[in-house]
Amino acid sequence: MSSLMWYIFDFARKAWADAFANAKTNPEIAEKPERFRDFPKVNKEYCIGCGACTVSCPSPNAIKIVREEDDETGEGLTYPIIFPEACIRCGFCAEVCPTDPKTLECGLNHYILPEFNLIPSKRKYVVDDFLCIKCKKCMKKCPVEAISVVDGKLVVDQLKCISCGECLGVCPVNGAMKGVFVDNLQDQKELILSCVNFLEEFIEGKEEDLRLLEQNDLLQYDVPVSEIWDDALKIMPDEEIALEIITNAVNRLKIRIIDWDESKCEKCQLCIPDCPTECISFDDDKDTIVRDKNRCLRCSICYQTCPFSVIKYFIAKFSLDDGENIHIIVNASNLNEGIVE
Amino acid sequence: MLDAVKDAVRKSSIHVCVVNCGGCNGCDVEVVALLSPRYDLEQYGIYVQNNPREADVLLLTGAVTEQWTDNLKRIYDKAPEPKIVVAVGNCPQSGDVFNQEGGHVHAPASNFIPVDAAIPGCPPRPSEILEAILAVGPQAIADRGREEK
Repeated sequence: MSSLMWYIFDFARKAWADAFANAKTNPEIAEKPERFRDFPKVNKEYCIGCGACTVSCPSPNAIKIVREEDDETGEGLTYPIIFPEACIRCGFCAEVCPTDPKTLECGLNHYILPEFNLIPSKRKYVVDDFLCIKCKKCMKKCPVEAISVVDGKLVVDQLKCISCGECLGVCPVNGAMKGVFVDNLQDQKELILSCVNFLEEFIEGKEEDLRLLEQNDLLQYDVPVSEIWDDALKIMPDEEIALEIITNAVNRLKIRIIDWDESKCEKCQLCIPDCPTECISFDDDKDTIVRDKNRCLRCSICYQTCPFSVIKYFIAKFSLDDGENIHIIVNASNLNEGIVE
Repeated sequence: MLDAVKDAVRKSSIHVCVVNCGGCNGCDVEVVALLSPRYDLEQYGIYVQNNPREADVLLLTGAVTEQWTDNLKRIYDKAPEPKIVVAVGNCPQSGDVFNQEGGHVHAPASNFIPVDAAIPGCPPRPSEILEAILAVGPQAIADRGREEK
């Protein structure tokens, strides 16, 4: 009975009466909370029509860029439109939007801007994980603590790096820490290609030496860099970059040379079906074997096939230490050594 | 008189059947949140159960997958008149992120059955779903019941 009394008494308390009189839904339920990321809001007039938002959108039909019709006041506005029936409200479009102020507003993430500094530097420093021995000397040396261990690999944080080059100086492994030139990659490729082509032509021009070369002998040449220097500077005007690219390319270079002595050829045509790229063919009019040098892979199959020693196969290695002379070492391939003459 | 009784009953007790035609379950979870005490769907006289034979409202979720192309029509036919179809979320309307090139979704669902209302969002907030059901539910079902006469 007393418990029932207390139960009824509970309803008589002022606190209960207040709560009963002022009952209302939690605003978090009734309205969208402040933090809720709703459909993107479009501010038409800021749009530059770059299309970054449409590229970043994960949903195929959610966003399209439209352009209004031109009229006498000028060109029509270009701006994105959002289709709510396909938009997943992820906010990527607002994050990638490059305009300031933003054309697209969605949530709060796009207001967060990472701090970074742009330093005018020709180089970007990266760690080659394949060569890195994890001695962490660069980590200790780095003045801004830009190098850290991520997943057991040393990684340079490009946002913190100030391009001082200290890490390159202390790295004990040649090539583990790289100062890569980031701009004009296409020019770098051209420079390497022209350098390699020059060296190959140089060796192929030494036909007599190659044909006299004994099995276990070496040919050695010194080519001054100055011979390709002018052409290199036409492609890459910056001397420091040009020399470094040539040095790096030449030191890693290994060229396989094919020498084709047509005077020995008996036109047996054994090499034609063996060639993987079909660069060897038989010319019926001239009654001779034709080799297309540009399609050749230097795979040595024809050299191993030919019964008349028409084809000779050489391996050339290079080094450029002093920046003056490219040192070339050519030796004959020993692939066919086991064959009894 | 009989019509008035029918209207009153139809307005005050709506049975909803959730039909997931191949979605990611996000919208279904939001519907479950509606049943929870926080939103308490049943205070409006709306009851959720998965039996199309008892349903007044079909809640479609998910992009329509290969198997659902014919089953959707079958389920729709099983629901008694008057009935309302509400597409919840983006998938039944546009296929959303699953509608990629080379994908196998057959959105929109309105290709297969008539859809009366659509709620955008991925997923929509429970309050948005509730709003839509309440906006379309009671009166629409009553009207639909009258139409059949």
